[in-house]
Amino acid sequence: MNKLLTKALKAYTLFSLLILVISVPVYVLVVDHIWLSELDENNWLSLEHLKNRIESREYSPAEVAQINEIWGELQPGFSISKINSSHFLADSVYEVQRKNVFDLDDGEDRFRGLRSYFELQGQAYQITIETNVEEADETLLAIAVVTLIFFIMLILGFILINRRIARQTWQPFHRTLQSLRKFDLSQGQALSLEKSNIEEFQELNQSLEDLVTKNIKVYQHQKAFTENASHELQTPIALLKSRLDLLLQEKALSPALSQILSSIEAPLARLSRINKNLLLLAKVENQQYAEMELIKINAYLHSALTLFDDYINDKELTIELKFETELTIQAHSFLVETLIHNLLSNAIRHSVSGAKLEVEISENTLLVKNTGAIALDTKHLFERFSTASTEKVSSGLGLAIIKEIVNKYQWQVGYKFAASKHVFFIHF
Amino acid sequence: MKILIIEDEEELALDIISYLSSEQYRCEWVADYSAAIAKVTSYQYDCVVLDLMLPGGDGLSILKELKKLNKEDGVIILSAKNSLDDKVKGLKLGADDYLAKPFHQAELAARIESVIRRKQFDSNSLITFKELLIDTQAKSVRINEELLNLTKKEFDLLLFFLGNKNRVLSKSALAEHLSGDFADMFENHDFIYAHIKNLKRKLKKKGSDDYIKTIYGTGYRWEV
Repeated sequence: MNKLLTKALKAYTLFSLLILVISVPVYVLVVDHIWLSELDENNWLSLEHLKNRIESREYSPAEVAQINEIWGELQPGFSISKINSSHFLADSVYEVQRKNVFDLDDGEDRFRGLRSYFELQGQAYQITIETNVEEADETLLAIAVVTLIFFIMLILGFILINRRIARQTWQPFHRTLQSLRKFDLSQGQALSLEKSNIEEFQELNQSLEDLVTKNIKVYQHQKAFTENASHELQTPIALLKSRLDLLLQEKALSPALSQILSSIEAPLARLSRINKNLLLLAKVENQQYAEMELIKINAYLHSALTLFDDYINDKELTIELKFETELTIQAHSFLVETLIHNLLSNAIRHSVSGAKLEVEISENTLLVKNTGAIALDTKHLFERFSTASTEKVSSGLGLAIIKEIVNKYQWQVGYKFAASKHVFFIHF
Repeated sequence: MKILIIEDEEELALDIISYLSSEQYRCEWVADYSAAIAKVTSYQYDCVVLDLMLPGGDGLSILKELKKLNKEDGVIILSAKNSLDDKVKGLKLGADDYLAKPFHQAELAARIESVIRRKQFDSNSLITFKELLIDTQAKSVRINEELLNLTKKEFDLLLFFLGNKNRVLSKSALAEHLSGDFADMFENHDFIYAHIKNLKRKLKKKGSDDYIKTIYGTGYRWEV
């Protein structure tokens, strides 16, 4: 994954590199051109000046020869020489490479020369003048080096500016990201994001706030719906139950009919339980049961096991208790009771007759183990109605309720299958 | 014995009346807050069955009103909310018992009987049924003066039967009576069979008649 700014930086860098690379030959051409035309102009000026002076002073041919000799010796590339033709050629520009006699390491130097013609006392002369000019490859090298330096400066600048932008300009974005990470829909608290003076971020924040507000509303509606639906269902369930009780009192019931009637009891009990559990879930989600008190888990376990006595004896289960410490916690007593009842009733229901059921407390962990053949599917274990059980009594909500209660108090619940045992544990 | 049922669900109220009618009870029924207030302020009842969610007002206010008037009526709160808060508040305000909906009619009948017994006979906690003498306070049962040794659950079942004479009690009603709220966590209530078998055996051993009849496929009935 690339950061947005790094990506931009890469693009900028590549583009600047391209432009600068193109700029180097262009600069060389332009500089060379300016240079040469300046030198040509300079040569021309000097030559014109010379011609003018020589003509106006009316030097004799011998004097001209002397000038050529002296000056030609002093000034490299200068010469005035007689020519036989009376046809003057047009002025011509030429370039020559000469050895640098003073610095042999320097190799050859480039000279720009101008050749012209003039007439003095009927004799035609050719005059040349030369000026040293920087070689094109040297210019290229210099410009390339300078460009490289500028390129490096440019990149450093980009990186610095980039960092600044990342630090300052993107700060609101990162804060928004952090708020989103911390956001918990079930808390029901609206998202409040800082105002940003960058239009895009402000727009993003506004959209997020609107989205979250809408979602909270939907979530609350859904919660309210569950709670209301469960409430509404309670009366018909109560009626069904009481009608069934009345029906059973009928004197004229045939055995077959009364058996059908009593077989309604189980699904009715299940319906009632599902409804009760949905209501409980809705209430826990709605942050009810806020009161806290000191709860002794050991004692709660003992009394729950006493309550389940009949069911334990019925299945001839062996209970093995290993309480290493006295575990006390702060929570709502009803919720802890529910948690323990659900854990234990699960273990009892899913045990085969004559099996062993182990309950352990160590430090701040409660473990409930019961024998089992194969591991449960842990992926959806704690989800609502995810149960794969074919039991008629299961509400499919027992573990979901455990999870909800555990979440409420920021405890941890887990399941593992080890040594042919289902192990449910809760870290308080 | 007069019983007032304050319940806005007409059908449920009629079911309760229908179930209780053959007992020695005379039932009256009101469906809203103001009618309930009118009734409880003007008359004396042995037991008031009070639904907390009423049109026109909160059931708990009726309870407060009763206590303000120093009425002796026994009160059983019914609540669809099954909320712990209501239960705690109701019992604190002086209600005698609390029953969450949905409930078995037999359970309500037994609770009404228990409330009336506690109110009426005050310190007298004795119930007699033919050769049986039951002390609810000492939790003891005598047959022809001879002490019967029952477990707590057998004793509870015996009282439950006596509160629902000649009624068919389903296994689930019996299980719910013994295990309370979480009986519906389990599918199998076969343990009831063992308890009743033991109870019958013990009663018979001390020379009591066999009042508990098994209704095939359904449950049990205490036959008089």
